[in-house]
Amino acid sequence: MKNSLREQLGAWLFLSPFLLTLAVFFVYSTGRAFYFSFTDYNMFSEPQWVGFANYISLFQQSLFLRALQNTVLFSLIVTVVQCFLALVMATVLNQKIRGLGFFRATYYMPSIASSVVITLIFLWMYQRRGLINYLWTEGRRHAPIIVFFLVTVSIIQILQVVIERRRGFPARWVDPALTVMSILIGTAVTAGAWVFGFIAVRDLPPVDFTWLQTRMRIPESPEFLRVPVPLIAIMIQNIFTTIPTLMIMYLTALQDVPKSLYEAAEIDGAGATQRFLNITIPSVRPVTFLVVTLSLIGTLQMFDQVAIFGDAVPLESVITLAYFVYNRMFPGAQLPQVGIASAAAIFLALFTLSLVLIQRLFIKSEVS
Amino acid sequence: MRIRSVVTMCLVIGLSTIAVLSSFAGGAGEAATPDAPVEIRIMGYGGQDPAIKARLLDEVIGDRLSEQGIVVTYEPLEGDYNAALFNALSAGTAADIIYIPVETAPGIIDTGVVANLNELTDISPFIASLNESYTFNGNTYGIAKDFNTLAMFYNRDLFDEAGVDYPDENTTWEDLDEMIRAIAAIGDDVYGAAFPASFDRFGAFAFAAGWDMFDDDGHSDLTDPAMQEAVEWYTGLVRDGVAVQPSDLGQGWGGGAFATERVGIAFEGAWMLGFLRNEAPNLEFGTAMMPIGPSGERGNFVYTVAYGINSQTRNLEQAIAVLEALTSVDAQQFVLEEGLAIPSREAMSENEYFERGSSESDANRVVFEGAESGRVFGFQFGAVGTDWMTPINAALSEVMTGEASVEQALATAQQDLNELLAR
Repeated sequence: MKNSLREQLGAWLFLSPFLLTLAVFFVYSTGRAFYFSFTDYNMFSEPQWVGFANYISLFQQSLFLRALQNTVLFSLIVTVVQCFLALVMATVLNQKIRGLGFFRATYYMPSIASSVVITLIFLWMYQRRGLINYLWTEGRRHAPIIVFFLVTVSIIQILQVVIERRRGFPARWVDPALTVMSILIGTAVTAGAWVFGFIAVRDLPPVDFTWLQTRMRIPESPEFLRVPVPLIAIMIQNIFTTIPTLMIMYLTALQDVPKSLYEAAEIDGAGATQRFLNITIPSVRPVTFLVVTLSLIGTLQMFDQVAIFGDAVPLESVITLAYFVYNRMFPGAQLPQVGIASAAAIFLALFTLSLVLIQRLFIKSEVS
Repeated sequence: MRIRSVVTMCLVIGLSTIAVLSSFAGGAGEAATPDAPVEIRIMGYGGQDPAIKARLLDEVIGDRLSEQGIVVTYEPLEGDYNAALFNALSAGTAADIIYIPVETAPGIIDTGVVANLNELTDISPFIASLNESYTFNGNTYGIAKDFNTLAMFYNRDLFDEAGVDYPDENTTWEDLDEMIRAIAAIGDDVYGAAFPASFDRFGAFAFAAGWDMFDDDGHSDLTDPAMQEAVEWYTGLVRDGVAVQPSDLGQGWGGGAFATERVGIAFEGAWMLGFLRNEAPNLEFGTAMMPIGPSGERGNFVYTVAYGINSQTRNLEQAIAVLEALTSVDAQQFVLEEGLAIPSREAMSENEYFERGSSESDANRVVFEGAESGRVFGFQFGAVGTDWMTPINAALSEVMTGEASVEQALATAQQDLNELLAR
């Protein structure tokens, strides 16, 4: 009895630093926020109890509704795209190819760089005279050459495969040796056509697409699916920086998948796509649950990119729930609206929790 | 049993936390003994301000204050100043003297945390439009430490190349229109002026057209013809491709665009001087008063920050002494002659510094005179703060990028603004 008491005390002692910080910065502050969400308070007046008025007022503010819509769209689109792409990339990097370590390191780079730095770099790329519009412009100008090249290569490839098959060899449509030949010949033909003036770079004005300073939303309808263009810019950036982390998780899961499964499937005649759909996806299901959960929580609380984009974008085009909370708590120059901010924060917490619970219904966390 | 022990543990932890925290809180701000010097704390901006304050104390007012038994400590709040200040004031840890940015003034003074200066010191030597921004119901709560207004900064080389006369204090919108088009004609990459899609610059033009931000009932009317005219003129030049938004040159503000030497005119304040000294030291620039608009007058903003006194201070008398020293004639003379800021005392207009004839002293003079010429308003928007500008900024941006017509954009902005004001 005495021993077990001493053991318990020891445990509490070791836990106390964490319990203390948790108690002060989590339990206490959540409790306070919960209380404030039912009051009218600006940090200087006495908090006035107003019941559910803050919650009702939230749903009457168009900025909050936009924040809610932006958050949901952002979260769903980004989660789906980045989880899918992470799995594809992990599958590719799980092959035995030359320079694997190099590719793994390169693809992981975006996750190491700080989110602030990446956001600033992307801000430059999204300028109206920035890299993205520049590449777009060059792509459009060189479109005839690119199309000509692709068509030539395809024609040569088809010709080669047909000839090989006539001769009785079992050539695949993407046979590597033939493909290399096609690309070489295609390049030569394209270069020739370009030099002799059959095809030319088009003289088009530069693309002037506004990524940031715009309130444009696409598509035109339906209303609930309209994503503001600046939000798409943030989505692209967010996907780019988060994929590598998720990819690593998938990669570790993939290494536990028995090679024999793939070999057996290959013998039975399954192609790459079928192996991916029928072996890879089911075997990494528990990791998919983890990845989707983390991704949902991360995207629902997205804040930093909006904060750094700051004045470069119209607020209502990129505002998320987390930024709405901040915006009401620390507005430009007016007094804080602590009650509204707290109500929005509590709403965000409950909303996140319920989305994760719903998600559990669709993705099982165990391999069945 | 186990649950109970967990509860007990939580209680113990909670109580000890409170005990520890309250012992910290108790330590701050003991009353001063008669002999020990009294410490007066000032809370203000980070950036350059700590260095300026240190020099001011060292070289000008420090000795005088220490004779009175006062030690001054400057506490810069880096980052978001307003948020940090609100926090400190609410928690009771704010300094004796605080910076009050003009756009924050209406909200913060309304809470009663800033002392009324009417009975405490003489505010009459300071420029009237500055005092007005800190006066509510006849009581004045802040003395402007320095200020800024907008001026036309023009690139002499581009004007010479285009063969146009420099702008001066008689330049009207029509004259300016011609100048901008002439300069833009120099080349594809050259623009007549930088027009940000932002009310903090555009406002001066709206005032020149005769527009008022608020009517007597506190409403803002964006459908007013004067507003419409100003928006059409301002955005029209950008739509015609003769003026440019700074963001289209990859710059965050008009000054950045001006420093690329591809823009003829930028509308900025004296904060441009330090920036140009570093970024474009060879740029030959001149300064003129803001142009005269359709109302027959020019418009301008006063941007200012005042010293206010925390009404909770324990050393009111000494705080007043420090406030008076900071805004004294010699302190302001020093700040002006060092080119650090523009002083808020009316009598400073006589200062010989303004007659030196350099580009910088000229610019400072134009900015100084801007506060008393034409329709000048403080950079403040009532209790809603700078959020008030958001709908108008969005409208300007929409019109400039061709996403909406002037009427459409202003109608949307009016709706958003009404919702904001009703909040």
